[in-house]
Amino acid sequence: MDDTYRYIGKPIPRRDAAAIVTGAAVFLDDLRFDNLLHGKVLRSPHAHARINRIDKSKAEALPGVKAVLTWEDIPDWRGGTPRTVRVLDEKVRYVGDATALVAATTPEIAEEALDLIEVDYKVLPAVIDMDSALKPGAPLVYDEFPGNIVPGGTIIYGPNCLKGVERGDVAKGFAEADVITEGTFGYENIPNALPPESVGAVAQWEEPDKVTVWATSQAPYMDKVTLFHVFNRQVEIRSIGNHVGGSFGTKIMCWQVQAYAVLLSRATGRPVKVVFTKEEHLAAFTLRVASRLQAKVGIKNDGTLTAIQGTWYVDTGYYSFTTQAQVAVGSGELMIMAQCPNWDLKNFIVTTNRNASGSTRGFGGQELKSSFIPLLSLAMEKADLDPFEVLKKNFVKPGGGYFWRDGEWYDYRGIDYSKAMDTGAERFGWKEKWKGWLKPTSVDGPKRTGIGVGVHGNADIGEDAAEAYVQIDYNGTATIFLCVAEHGTGQKSNYVRMAAEVLQIPLDRIAMSPADSLVTPFEFGPVGSRGTYAIGSAVINAAEDAKQKLFDLFAPKLGADPEDLETADGVVTVKGHPEKSLKWRALGNDRTVLGYGRFESDFTLCNCMMSFVEAGVDTETGKVSLESVVLATDVGRIIDPLGIEGQLNGCIGSAGIDTAVFEETILNPSSGHMLNPNLIDYKWRTFEELPPIEHVVLETPIPSHRFNAVGVGEISTAPGPSAVLMAVSNAVGTWFHEYPVTPQKVLKALGKIDTERRGGSR
Amino acid sequence: MTDIQTDRNTFTPPEVLTVGFTVNGQYHRFNVGTEAHEISPTHTLSWTLRETLGLTGTKVSCDQGACGCCTVIMDGKAVLSCKILTIECDGKTITTIEGLKERTSGALDPIQQAFIDHNAFQCGYCTPGMIMTTKALLDEKSHPTEQEIKEALSGNFCRCISHYQVITAVLSVVESRK
Amino acid sequence: MKRFEHHNARSIEEAIEILGYYKGNAKVNAGGTDLLGALRDRALPEYPDAVINIKTIGGLDYIEKDQTGLKIGALAKLDDITRSPVIKEEHKLLADAAYSVATPQIRTMATIGGNLAQDVRCWFYRYPPRIGGPMVCLRKGGKFCSALAGDNRYHSIFGPAPLVEYPDEGDIPGQPALPSHPHRSRKGCFAVGPSDLAVALVALDAGIVTTKRTVSAEAFFNATALKSTLLEADELITEIQVPKLPAAATQRYDKFTLRKPIDFAVVSTASVLTVDRGVCTDARIVLGAVAPEPVRVRNAEEVLKGRHIDEETAEEAAELALAGSTPLKMNGYKVEIAKVLVKRAILG
Repeated sequence: MDDTYRYIGKPIPRRDAAAIVTGAAVFLDDLRFDNLLHGKVLRSPHAHARINRIDKSKAEALPGVKAVLTWEDIPDWRGGTPRTVRVLDEKVRYVGDATALVAATTPEIAEEALDLIEVDYKVLPAVIDMDSALKPGAPLVYDEFPGNIVPGGTIIYGPNCLKGVERGDVAKGFAEADVITEGTFGYENIPNALPPESVGAVAQWEEPDKVTVWATSQAPYMDKVTLFHVFNRQVEIRSIGNHVGGSFGTKIMCWQVQAYAVLLSRATGRPVKVVFTKEEHLAAFTLRVASRLQAKVGIKNDGTLTAIQGTWYVDTGYYSFTTQAQVAVGSGELMIMAQCPNWDLKNFIVTTNRNASGSTRGFGGQELKSSFIPLLSLAMEKADLDPFEVLKKNFVKPGGGYFWRDGEWYDYRGIDYSKAMDTGAERFGWKEKWKGWLKPTSVDGPKRTGIGVGVHGNADIGEDAAEAYVQIDYNGTATIFLCVAEHGTGQKSNYVRMAAEVLQIPLDRIAMSPADSLVTPFEFGPVGSRGTYAIGSAVINAAEDAKQKLFDLFAPKLGADPEDLETADGVVTVKGHPEKSLKWRALGNDRTVLGYGRFESDFTLCNCMMSFVEAGVDTETGKVSLESVVLATDVGRIIDPLGIEGQLNGCIGSAGIDTAVFEETILNPSSGHMLNPNLIDYKWRTFEELPPIEHVVLETPIPSHRFNAVGVGEISTAPGPSAVLMAVSNAVGTWFHEYPVTPQKVLKALGKIDTERRGGSR
Repeated sequence: MTDIQTDRNTFTPPEVLTVGFTVNGQYHRFNVGTEAHEISPTHTLSWTLRETLGLTGTKVSCDQGACGCCTVIMDGKAVLSCKILTIECDGKTITTIEGLKERTSGALDPIQQAFIDHNAFQCGYCTPGMIMTTKALLDEKSHPTEQEIKEALSGNFCRCISHYQVITAVLSVVESRK
Repeated sequence: MKRFEHHNARSIEEAIEILGYYKGNAKVNAGGTDLLGALRDRALPEYPDAVINIKTIGGLDYIEKDQTGLKIGALAKLDDITRSPVIKEEHKLLADAAYSVATPQIRTMATIGGNLAQDVRCWFYRYPPRIGGPMVCLRKGGKFCSALAGDNRYHSIFGPAPLVEYPDEGDIPGQPALPSHPHRSRKGCFAVGPSDLAVALVALDAGIVTTKRTVSAEAFFNATALKSTLLEADELITEIQVPKLPAAATQRYDKFTLRKPIDFAVVSTASVLTVDRGVCTDARIVLGAVAPEPVRVRNAEEVLKGRHIDEETAEEAAELALAGSTPLKMNGYKVEIAKVLVKRAILG
C-alpha cells in the first residue's frame, strides 16, 4: 500500500494531550458560572409506587433553597421510545426514580432540602425482572404497555425499522441440518459501562422559550434534537459539549439530567448544575440491556449454518430510549456474524421495575452475541467442530449480505476478514491450544486453563448523516466546524489529520470549533462505530469542498482549470508547473472559503473483531482469571496507531470482557435496590491484574472514504464475554451459560456446593 | 453511655478558627466558616481544591476513596483528596496536577511528557490522578520495576483501559533516568 | 456532607474529654478512609454531632520492638506497617495483612487503630441514602437483618452478631458468637468483620490497649449487632501489642477476593503454626470475613497438634474448621473457599 501520507497513520500525539496531562482539559464539572445554583434529585425508595402526596413546604422554606419541583409543577415533558416517560411523574418505577428536584445555592443546602421533602407513597406490586414482568396478569410498569411489552421499532430508523429477522424457510433449514440444538441462553447481569466522569448538565434558561445546555454527552447536536422533542417542540435549545470523561455509548442518554437542569433553571432564572453522584450514575443512569435468547440453531457437519429460529427477550428496565434501536442493530449484527439462509428471529422488549438499560458500546450486538454463541457452541460441540473455523466461515464475505436497521437488505461490498482472523489465531496459538470441546488447554494441579473465541461485526460504521464545515482562511489556516465532543477516542484529532491531509497543511494550522450547536452543522455524534467512516467522510467532504471552492477562485488567476490545481502548505500550484503558484494569502483578508461536507448513511460495509481468550480457573476456589487476550481486526487503514491500540485495549473495561469475569449489577431480589452502586462493590479491572494482550490489526484497503478506513474501537468489547464463557467451559469441562462466571458458579458446576439448598455446604 | 463524666458546662472543646496550607508552592490561609471563601468543617480537600481554589485539574469520580481520580501529593505521599477534611490540613504541603509543571519555564514534568508521547490516556478523566500517583512513586523510588508500578497504580480507576500505555509511559520515564 | 462540628484533639485525654462533651455522639477521625465515607453516605445509625481529629496527637504512630515483641501506636499507618523492616522480619503475617488492604493511597492514609475500629461493610447497611435509601436493616431499626431475605453472598456463614438486648442469648462474655446457638440464627446482624488486621492480630495473639483496658485481640472483636468491637463510645485504641513468636513458627495470611486490590475479603485466613520435624506442635488458625468477628477455629487447631502435617491432616482440619458453619442461601461457596484457605494455611 502506498504511504505518502503526512499525518494519517503516524504516531502523533492527540491535540488535547497537553491539556489532559496538565489538568487543563475542561470537563463539565470544571466549567465556572456566575450565580450558579446546584441541583439535587430526591429518589424513590420503592420499586413501584404511586405518589399520593408530596409536601415540599419545609424544603422551600430552607434558606438558600431557590426551587423545589415535583411532577405537579412541571410541564408534561416526556422522553423515551416511544415518548412515554415523564421527566417527573406521579408514579415511580424503580428504586431511585426521581420524585422531586431541588435547586439551592450550595450542594449541601440542596441535600439538606431533600431531607425535608415529605412524600407519601402508595406502594404497588413490582416486577423486578423479566420473569415476573411477563407473567400473565403481572402489574404494569406503564398502562400504555400491556403485558409490559414495549412496542418495537424506532422512528429514527424509519418506518420499516428492523424488528426481527425473517428470511428463507426455517423448516427447510432445520431439515437440512446435521445437528440441531436449542435452549435458553442469557446475558442478564446488566453490567455498567461506568465512565469515570459521572453524568451531569448545566442549563441556563432564557425567557420565554430558550435554553443553553452544557452536558456530559459526546453528541451535543443530538442533545438539541432529543431535548427539542422532549420539551414538546416548544423550546429552542443550544447545546454545548466539553471534554467527556468517558462514555462508551452511554452518555447519549443524558436527556433526563439535562431536563432536570433545564427545569430548575426555568424555575429560578439562574444557571443550574446537576451532576450525579457516582451512586446515582450507577443506580439511576443506564445499564446494558439484559438479553435472553430462547432459540434453536441448525448446522451442517461442515459448519454451514442452516437455520436460526427463536425469540430474543430484551429487558430494558423501567424505560427504553435506544433499546428498539439496539434490537434492530443487534439483529443485523447477528446476521453479519452468522450468514445463514433461513431465519425466524423474533424479539420482545420487556419493561421492568429496575433502573433503565440502554445504549452501551456493543449496542445490542454484544448482548445478543453473548447469548447466541453459547447456543451455537452446543451445536459445534455436537458436530465436533472447531469454533474458530465455524465463526470464520460464517462471517459475512463479499457476495453475502444482511438486513440492517432500516429493514432493508444490504449486499456486502467490503473485504473478506478471514485473513485477519487467521493471523489472530496464529498469534494466539489457537491450533496448539485447542484440545476439543470441554477439554482444558492446560492442567497444573488445581489450576486449569481453557480457550474461547468470539466474533462481532457492525455495519453502523456508516450509520446516520454527518455534517461538517471546513473554512479556509487567507493566512494558510483552516477551521473545522463539527459538533463532536472528545470522549476519549481521539477522533477530534483524527478529523484534523484528515482535513490536514486533504488540504496539505500542518496539523497546527487547523483549528476546531467547540462542539456548540449554535456554530456547527448537524452531527449525530461519535456513537456506534461511525466516527471514522461517517463523521470522517463529512470532514473530508467539507475539506474537499473548501479546496474545490478555493481552486475555483484561483483558477482564473492562475490561468488554469480548477482540476489542474493542487495545494500544499498554503500554496496553490498548477500541477506540473511549480512556477505557477499563488499563496492562499491571495484570497485577501476580507474573504474566507467555506466548504460543506455531508455524509449519507451507507450500510454496505461492516467492521470486524475477533477475540481470542485464554482463561484460567482455580478449581479449588472457583476463581477465574484472564490469562491472555488477542484481538484480530482489519481496519482498512490505521488513522491513529496510538489511539487504536488504546481502543482495542479497551476490550477489557467498560462492560466488555470482564462482564464474563466479575462485572455485574446486583439487584436485591426482594426489593429491587441496587446493592453495588459504588466503585468498591462494582468490580472493575485494576492495574495489578492485567492479562497479556495483543492486537492484530491488518490494513487491507476498504472501500469507504479516501483513506479506505473504517472505525473499529467500539466493538473491541463485543466478542469477549462469550469467548470467556467458552474458555471457562473448556477449562472446567462443563458448560457455563451465565454471566459472570463467579466463584459460586464455578464451585457449583464442580459439584462442590449446592446453592439451591439453604445451608448448602457439603 | 453511663461512664461519661465530663460536665458539658465547664468544658469547651478547642475550636479550629483558621487553616493554612501550601498548594503548589503557594500558601493559603482560610477562616473556618460557612461562607463560600471559607472552609467548612465538612469540606473535603478535593472540594476545596476544585471549588474554593479553582484547581479543577483534580478530578472527583467515586468520591468514596476507591478510584484514585482525586489523588494529590501531600507531604510527599499520594493521598485521596476526597477522603481528607480540609480543616485537618493545617501546615500541610500539597501538590496537585497544576503544580507539576516547572514553575518558571512552564516545562512539563517528564511524566506528563511521557503520558503524551505514549498516548497514555483515552478520555483523560483519570489521568491527573494517575500522574500524581506516579509522581509520588518516582519521587520515592527512582527505578521501580514494572510490578511496582502496577502495584502503585492499583488504586487508580480507568475504564477506557489506558493501563497498558500508562505502564509503557512510566517505564519510559524510569528508563530515561538510567 | 451533612453538618458536624470539628475539633482537633491535642492529646488522648483531650480527645476523651471532647467525646464526653458530646455525650458519646461524636466520632474520632484518624486516617479518615472509613469514617468520611460513612459520613458522606450517612451510614451510621446516628449521625455524629462532631468529628474529632486525633491525627493532631503526637507520638502515637510508633512501631517498636523489644524483647517481648512489637508495640504499634494506634496512629501508625498501614503503609508504614507493610514497609517496616521490624515487622517484616518477625511478623510478616501482619505486614501481609496490612498490604492486602484496599489501595496504596488508602494504606498511606489509614491507621491500624482505624482499621481495627472500622465499621462493617455490609451493602444493606451502607446502602446510599440518595438512591431511595437508607435501607432499614437490623442496625437501623429494622426487625431482621436484610441479608436474610436479600443477596447474602458476602455475609456470615457462622451466624449473626447478636442483638445485645435479647434476654435469652446466654452468651459468655468475651466469647465470639459461634454457631452453637441454632436458636439465634435469625436474631442478629450477618455482616462480617471487615478488618484484615483483626484476623492477623487474633492469629498473632495480640493485645489491644485502649484508654480503658488491655484485652486480647480475640476478646476485643466481640461483635454485636450494634458494634464490631468492645470499644465504648468514649474509648480509644492507643496501642497494639504483638508478642514475639516462637523461633520455629511459620505464619501466613491469605485473602480471597475477586480482585487483588480494593476488595474486602470474601474469606481470609491468618495462621501461626509451629512445626517440628514435620509434626505440628502448636497452631493458631483464624478465619476472616466468615463471621461478625475473626473466628479462631480451635477444633482444627487441636486436631493438628501432635500430628504429622500432610494433605490428609490438612483436609481433616479444614473440614473441622468449617464443621459448624451455617451458610445462607447464597454464600455456601464461602465454606468451600474457607476450607481451601485453611488447607493452604496448613500446607503452606
